[in-house]
Amino acid sequence: MNRFVEYQIKIFCWISGIALICAIGILLAFLFYKGTSSLNLSLIFGKTRPLDGLFLNTEVIDGLFPAIVGTLLLILTSIIWAIPIGVAGGIYLAEYCNKKWKPVFNLMLDILAGIPSILVGLFGFTVSVFLHKHLSEHIYPCFIISSLALACLVLPYIIRTTEQSLVNLPFFIKTTGLALGASRLQNILFILIPYNLSHIISGIILAIGRCAEDTAVIMLTGVVAMAGIPNSLLSQYEALPFYIFYISSDYNSQEELMRGFGACIILLSICVFLFALSYIVKRKAAMRFATHT
Amino acid sequence: MPPIHRKFKSMKKIKIRINDLNCFYKKKLVLKGLKGEMEEKAITTIMGPSGVGKTTLLMVINRLYESIPDCRAEGMVEIKLDGRYIEVHKLPVTTLRKKVGMVFQVPNPLPMSIFKNIAFPLKLSGVKDRKYIKKKVDQALKDAFLWGEVKDRLNDSALELSGGQQQRLCIARAMIMQPEVLLLDEPTSSLDMEAALRIAELLKSLKEKCTLVVVSHYASLTRRISDSVLTLENGNLTK
Repeated sequence: MNRFVEYQIKIFCWISGIALICAIGILLAFLFYKGTSSLNLSLIFGKTRPLDGLFLNTEVIDGLFPAIVGTLLLILTSIIWAIPIGVAGGIYLAEYCNKKWKPVFNLMLDILAGIPSILVGLFGFTVSVFLHKHLSEHIYPCFIISSLALACLVLPYIIRTTEQSLVNLPFFIKTTGLALGASRLQNILFILIPYNLSHIISGIILAIGRCAEDTAVIMLTGVVAMAGIPNSLLSQYEALPFYIFYISSDYNSQEELMRGFGACIILLSICVFLFALSYIVKRKAAMRFATHT
Repeated sequence: MPPIHRKFKSMKKIKIRINDLNCFYKKKLVLKGLKGEMEEKAITTIMGPSGVGKTTLLMVINRLYESIPDCRAEGMVEIKLDGRYIEVHKLPVTTLRKKVGMVFQVPNPLPMSIFKNIAFPLKLSGVKDRKYIKKKVDQALKDAFLWGEVKDRLNDSALELSGGQQQRLCIARAMIMQPEVLLLDEPTSSLDMEAALRIAELLKSLKEKCTLVVVSHYASLTRRISDSVLTLENGNLTK
């Protein structure tokens, strides 16, 4: 390749990298510039005493505490639904799927990954209407419907990362357990999954991010502005992304908008905390099961 | 010796019989009408040019080829277990692989401690008696000439061992289930000469315990340890 062209490509790559870092930097700077002033305990607990709010002695009405708890519970529950199904789906595609069916499953997975989240929300809403009509009149759009819909949304990330990491393992590692007399399932459970744990966790990190930020799905499936902390899976709930959405689209004063920016910082902090937690687990898994290829 | 005695003696010593074995990878015929025999409690080395199907032959013996997509085998491979020949395809695959262990070209210790690596096959078999496991692991390490080097660091990661030590660990791991046959796919090719010689000495000592089938490129090493050398060329296995 011409040295000049090579040089240009190198410069372009540098510019792209710097642009990415600048974009993130500007976004964070703007967010913190706008939102830091509203960050205080009253943003989270309102007029309720923080300890009373934290230990659920008094209901927090005018603070973000219920939305924070709702968001954390939503992420946790969605991930709990999605991990076993996603990992099992990835294992199925990589290890068991018939050659004839694999393209069909892959196509379905690609379609699921490409579905706009509003459609997933609409599907969740339809399911809740169906259940309301045919199963119980007490079922409305609620926490469990939201978490299941979000789980559907993030399944492709977990399935794909699990599948790809299993498929890309070298043959001599894939067959280590089998050559020692392990059954196929033992080989998957004791060797392939531990080897791939850090990759699988990468998929889960992506899924956590998606669960935390998605508003379209929860808007149609159970989130409301003033529901408090959900007391059952069939309760309605509050969530930070929805709070940010409605406060930014319908604010009455500059102060309310600033509270929205404050909520953004809190949501970002939750994501950073969860990412950091996942990253630590991933690092530990990688250290323990580091590949030596 | 009268012919009948010769025949009897020869039958008694054969551990693996291969007859009319064809192996296909997709539509390509890798092994064609292969015939051959491997002696019991001896080291049989299979030599031949690259890509001729030596590794495939080992994988047919312990049915590991079934894990390769689009690979299939036809024909007869029999192994002598408890005094009678059994077709490998008639044995449950996990039972077969416990009886016919395999060591790969690249050492593949699991990313866990040395102790856990060696004990892994026992764990797979559901053995839970800690004393028994400890005794077996110690013995396997001694048999693999590795005990002296690792006895003080059994809880260290197996990945910290040198290449030659890792390969001996893999042999110890394969031997812990007391297999009747041990297949070794170029076990010394990724090692330096010193480590390769240690493996060769190890293999010589192991032939009292089981039948060894070794795929090797090194003629010098082969001569040093083999009881018989089979050459795989143009689909034929010849002495």
